[in-house]
Amino acid sequence: MKKNEIIIIVGLLAVSLIGIAAFYLINKTDSPLSVRVTRQGEVIGIFPLSEDRTEIFTDATGFNTLEISDGTAKMVEADCPDHICVKTYPISSPGETIVCLPHKLVVEVITGDS
Amino acid sequence: MTSKAYRLVILSLYVAMALILSYIESLIPLPLPIPGAKIGLPNIITLVSLLTLGWPLTLLVVIARIFLSGFLFGGGFSIVYSLGGGLLSLLVMSLLLHFFKDKISIILVSVFGAISHNLGQVIVAAIVVQTTSLLLYFLFLMVLAIPTGIFIGVTARELMRLLGKTTIFSKLNLPQKK
Repeated sequence: MKKNEIIIIVGLLAVSLIGIAAFYLINKTDSPLSVRVTRQGEVIGIFPLSEDRTEIFTDATGFNTLEISDGTAKMVEADCPDHICVKTYPISSPGETIVCLPHKLVVEVITGDS
Repeated sequence: MTSKAYRLVILSLYVAMALILSYIESLIPLPLPIPGAKIGLPNIITLVSLLTLGWPLTLLVVIARIFLSGFLFGGGFSIVYSLGGGLLSLLVMSLLLHFFKDKISIILVSVFGAISHNLGQVIVAAIVVQTTSLLLYFLFLMVLAIPTGIFIGVTARELMRLLGKTTIFSKLNLPQKK
């Protein structure tokens, strides 16, 4: 491995880290936040992040239980085969997402309270 | 044994090894809150195969591995995402090896392969769930892809060095690599 390859790798690492930092900085806001739940691009629910609640989303493919508490949203239960959504870290900043691929469900933090 | 039959034997060995590595990988959960992050062990075989058999046969190795491991260890739906990642990754690695054959190390090829694998998967996922908000998720995956890509690249390089000492590749008429 040559010196310029190390530079490329460090550069890629820097791009991704700066990208993450920029993402959080750009989306930083003081306005109230909400959680938007979509199935296959169709909005099926918007809930304020400030209110604790538990929602269950069911359709032919199965169910997902979303819990909102202490200003974070987390998928606590699902009957999908991979449980990737349940393993995802709790989300609380605008733009963060939880995705359940088998059920085609996307949970996203958005700015605004409606 | 004819050269053609010999290639077929090597090809089958690659598929078998990649399948075993997929299985081993599915047994190792990464203790990270980033879902879907993987080490990419089967990519060791993809790299070795690219360097010894070339891309057309490696395409077969990758497709066979994805379908077999998808049916054996994953749900049927996981095949679509694996295909998105596996094919984009193979395309990027093949192009890099084609255009910079002697100027690029296996490690860098592996890192780009890992990143493009994630990109392919995220693109397929974004199409399936119809969202455009997976950019942050991809960036997290990209940070992880760099160390895992380096690890896979080093492993593939050492494997090539060790296998190069044997006569296993001598019937494949490889261009000599230092």
